[in-house]
This record gives sequence, structure tokens and C-alpha cells, in this order.
Amino acid sequence: MANNLYEITVYSENQVGLLSFIANTFTRRSINIESLRVFPSEIPGVHKFTIKSRTTEEQILQVVKQIEKKVDVHKAFYYVDDERHVREIEAVQALIDSRMEENR
Amino acid sequence: MSGADILLQSLIDQGIDTIFGYPGGSIMPVYDRLYDYGDRLRHILVRHEQGAIHAAQGYARAKHFPGAVIVTSGPGATNVITGIADAMIDSTPLVVITGQVGANLLGTDAFQETDVIGLTGPITKWNYQIRRPEDVAWAVARAFYIAKSGRPGPVVLDFAKNAQTGMAEYKKEQCSFIRSYDPYPEVKLADIAKAADMINASKRPLIVYGQGIILGNAEKELLSVIEKADIPAGSTLLGLSGIPSDCPNYLGMVGMHGNIAPNVMTQKCDLLIAVGMRFDDRVTGKTDEYAKQAKIIHIDIDAAEINKNVKVDLGIIGDAKTVLPRIEALLEKKDHSEWKKVAAKCREIEEEKVIGPECRPGKGYINMGEVVETVAEVTKDSAIIITDVGENQMIGARYSRYNQTRSMITSGGLGTMGFGLPAAIGAKIGAPERPVCLFVGDGGLQMTIQELGTIMQEHTGVKIVLLNNNWLGNVRLWQELFFNERYSFTRMLNPEYKLIADAYGISYKVVNRREDLRAAVEEMFADDKPYLLNVEVEEKGMVFPMVPPGKSVSEIMLNKKDWLEYGE
Ligand SMILES: Cc1ncc(C[n+]2csc(CCOP(=O)(O)OP(=O)(O)O)c2C)c(N)n1
Repeated sequence: MANNLYEITVYSENQVGLLSFIANTFTRRSINIESLRVFPSEIPGVHKFTIKSRTTEEQILQVVKQIEKKVDVHKAFYYVDDERHVREIEAVQALIDSRMEENR
Repeated sequence: MSGADILLQSLIDQGIDTIFGYPGGSIMPVYDRLYDYGDRLRHILVRHEQGAIHAAQGYARAKHFPGAVIVTSGPGATNVITGIADAMIDSTPLVVITGQVGANLLGTDAFQETDVIGLTGPITKWNYQIRRPEDVAWAVARAFYIAKSGRPGPVVLDFAKNAQTGMAEYKKEQCSFIRSYDPYPEVKLADIAKAADMINASKRPLIVYGQGIILGNAEKELLSVIEKADIPAGSTLLGLSGIPSDCPNYLGMVGMHGNIAPNVMTQKCDLLIAVGMRFDDRVTGKTDEYAKQAKIIHIDIDAAEINKNVKVDLGIIGDAKTVLPRIEALLEKKDHSEWKKVAAKCREIEEEKVIGPECRPGKGYINMGEVVETVAEVTKDSAIIITDVGENQMIGARYSRYNQTRSMITSGGLGTMGFGLPAAIGAKIGAPERPVCLFVGDGGLQMTIQELGTIMQEHTGVKIVLLNNNWLGNVRLWQELFFNERYSFTRMLNPEYKLIADAYGISYKVVNRREDLRAAVEEMFADDKPYLLNVEVEEKGMVFPMVPPGKSVSEIMLNKKDWLEYGE
């Protein structure tokens, strides 16, 4: 499978150790991280990571699933090259709302 | 209350009555308080922290409830790392509390400070450093919820000393919701219908189930599916005992040293239904060729397992206990006797070529298989079987029989030598009403042999069967088959085990003649006291059948010379 430049975005709670967990998820599969940024998202208390990495779609799917599996992670998305990020915030907010709703 | 008190009270509120642990400087405030909790919390003092964590694993798996471990910082914490990794890969619920230096000393390389959060991050389901007494109750409640729910796993709470001694108000906490965490995903009805259609249309269906069945309490639900649609079923190593061994559609174990029938049928079925398992490479052999001819349905609670190792036609993310009955409701009654003839033929071959020679050789040294079969006979298949790792594990798994669930406890994913003895102690403490029998090699026993001290102190009625071959047997086996019989550092000089057993006050017998075996096993199970039975077995015993590494699961060695020839 061909290597592409992927951008992964992760929405999570603000938990110690998540940054290294997310970085590990890549390095464990010997995928290089080209860039990584962490900042608060528009949802209060929710952090956003963006990671750029050159790898295959197969690998990136595994990485995204492993990251999403972490208890404090809401959701992860991935894009090829400069594909536009579509309505991530809405999707994450809807996910949180639906889980809160179910729990009620 | 002090943070230490809140911890202990919170553990009690979570239903914990037993703790496996070992004290030290950074956890002393907790141990000091524990002294006054003797009526509510039983503390098992192990001889090494690795013993504590494996004992907690055995306890958790026998009792179906999280195991609790308390150790000190630094070396105490690093000594539990192997067990945490083992629990992670085998989905065992544990709550591990490690002492930590005071928050003001964090990051200063203080005495016995180590970065437990950093070290355990990749091998825990969740970890958290408690730095304030106010956070203790919350953290413990959350820890238990995470450890138990969804796909279970180990959780570490790194407990800073100032939070142990600091005071806070205690309020009972329960956790049943975390907004970023979805342990029981909603199952799509369309997928249920699709799965049922696929099963109804199948001429040669095969079920392969794993520990998810046991962890999810879905034993009955699985059996109903098997019976209604008449589907033959094989188990992974960790799924063993999920359905009783005498179930007519039960095919035995899959994988490298599994039974012939489920491996051959994997390559002949038209539909493979995988439930609560994760397609480990010891199960699949060469993945490119695994069940290539078949459609595959994969049911698992962990979304990350779907399409991870094997690409499937239908992935259902959900709890086996909810998914299976919904599928069953849509299943047609079937009779697959024609297809099951394959199993009968495989069994016949295995009986003649493998099981007979292993379990009824009649002459020569005692084989490991004979010992395991004798235990099954004497205990009437009722014991909890614990194994260590190596030949003892594969033979123990192959020749034990199970008449109830949660009867097989072994280190599957990590393959941790030294797991067996402490895990057996934990299992006996978790299920005191059941006989607990450990099969262990001379290598693995000596990895955690210090736990005989725990048995002595706690009077834990573990039956230890040492399958003594004077080799690191499983490695020797690979050297014989794949490394030109170059036995590089696998020969092992053994101590006089009688003196060791005597030193710990544990009953002991050595057996090296076939005719003495049964009486010795009967004597061992005559009471509920600890016992070490040293069976001097064939030194160069082998484990067959074997799917050699890199082969597809129907390429099976029956012995050193013969390969399975099944035909079409
Ligand atoms: C901690 C650890 N170290 C090394 C190994 C590799 N290993 C797997 S099986 C085995 C030999 C086990 O020998 P023994 O305990 O005597 O059991 P046997 O195979 O003879 O039954 C070894 C060294 C392992 N699984 N775990």
C-alpha cells in the first residue's frame, strides 16, 4: 500500500499521559510523526491533538482505533493530504451529548 | 479521614475483601491504617511483588471480580510491571495501587521515585496519579468502573504519599459513566440480521470463541447458538472451559498446539463465526491463508480488534451476552451432521497419532499428557486448572477437561513464565470451594518459587504438579525441531525439591514410575492442603500436534516425521 501524508486529529479529556500515549501509538508501529500540536478545542475541557504522519491507510486506521480505545479519548479522525476537516467539533459534541443522553 | 483511610474504605465500598500486597516506605501510611482493617480486609503478604500481581490475576479470573494489589513505589512498582502487561493483553480486571513519593518531590529523583504513570501508560487500560486526598474516592470509583466494564483490564493508581497522609472528607463515590468512554456500544440491528442470514445460509459453519465468552458471562448464550444451529465450535487457549468439554459440538482448542479438528475445519468451513477472540498469531498461523475460503463474522466488544489481524466480512462491535441471543432468535434449526463428519475423522487421526502415544504409551518414562489426564480423571474434570508457560501449559490445556466455566487460568498473550504458582494461590483464595491444580515446569516454578512462603503462611490449598523434565522444555523442543538440536543453555540442574517442600512444610511426593502415578494424584487430592507432586517425566517430551510457525493452520505436524494428510 502506498504511503500518504495523513493528518490525524484527536479530541480528548485533558489527562496527564495522553500525549505520550498518542505518540507511542505511532512509534510502536514505527510510524514517524512529522508534526504534532496540542491545544484546547472549542468544546470546554476538551483538548485537540493534530498529528501529521506519512504512512499507509491500513496503518493509520489501526492507529486511530487504538487511540479511540483509550478511556479519555472522545474521538479521532484522519485525513489524507490536505483534505478538509469536516464538522469535527459538531461530531464530537454530538457524541458527548448522545452519551450523556443515554446515561440519563 | 486520611487519604489512606479513604482508599481502604473505598476499596471496601467497591466490594474488595482481599488485597495482595507488599509494604514499603512510600505506602506505609496505607499499611499503617490497614492494620486496623483486619476484620474487613484480608491482606495476603506475598514474597515478591510479581507474586502479588499474578496472584491478583488468578484471583480475578477465578472469582470474576477485580483483583486488588498494593505495593510501594520504585522497585515495588517496577516489580509489578510484568503482571500488569500480562493482565492488559489477557483482559484481566485489576486495580493496582502503587505508593509514590510526596507530590513536592515528584520529578526530583527522590528516593524510590519512578515514573509509574509513564511506565504503565502503554500497559494499562487507565492510570492516574492521586496527588490530593480529596481525589482518592473519585479515583478509586473510576478505577473499578474502568477495570470491570467493557473489555476489562488493569488500572494503576499512583498514590502520592502526601495524599495518603492528608485529610479530606469521605463521601462514598460510585462511577457508572465517563463521557469519553463507551464500554457497551449499541449493536446495529441490521448487523444482527445480516449475521443470522449468513449463518442460516451456511453449509459448513464454524464457531471459534475466546475469553470474551467468559469475561462477558455469555457461556449459556453461546451454547444456545451452538445447539440451535448445530454449529461445531473450537476454543482459543483463553476461551477454554467456556463451554463444557463434553458438549457434543465442542471441537477442542484451536491454534499452534490445538486440536486437529478445529484447525482443519477453519480451512474447510464456509463461514467462520469468531466470538470474543482477537485472532492472535498463535491462533491463526499464517494470516494470509487463514480461513481464506470462508466468510468471516467477528463479534467483539473492542472495536479496535475488528479487522486488526484478519479482515472480516462482518464485524459486530458488542457484548457477546447481548449480541448472541439476538442472533439466535433469528436462527433456523439446523442439522450439520454431514459437515461434522470432518471433526470425527480428525479426532480419529489425532487419537491414533497423537493422543494415544502421549497419554497411553504403556512403556518408557511418564509423559506429561498422562499426568494431566490422570488429574482430570481423579478430579472428575472439576478442578480449576492453572498452568505456567511452556510445554506444561500446552499439554495442560490440551488434556484437561472442564465441566464448568472459569476453570482454565493461564498466561496467554504474554506467555509469562512464573505466572503459574502465584496465579494458583490467587485462584484458590478467590474460589476456595474448588480444587485448584497447577501444572508447572521446573523452569517456571523456579521463577516465582518464593511464593511457597505465601502458601505456607496462608495455608493455601494449592495442588502443584511439577512436570519435571530437567530442561527449559518448550525452548528445547524448538531447538530440536528448528535449530538442529543445538541445545543452547536449556539444560537445567534442579534442586532437591523434597528439601524445598519440607522447608515450607508442604506435603511432597516424587513419582517416576507409571504404576505409582494414579495413587499419588489421588493422595494429593484426598484433602484440601497444599501439595507438591514432583513427576519426573520424559526429558525430551514433545507437544504435538503442531502448526509450525509461518504455516497455515491445516499444515500440521503429528510427530517428528509425519504431517497430517487429510485429503479433500
Ligand atoms: C519470563 C519468561 N522468560 C522466558 C520465556 C521463554 N520460554 C518460553 S517456554 C520456556 C521454557 C519453559 O521451561 P519449563 O518452565 O521447564 O517448562 P516446560 O516447557 O519444560 O514444561 C521459556 C524459557 C518466557 N515465556 N517467559
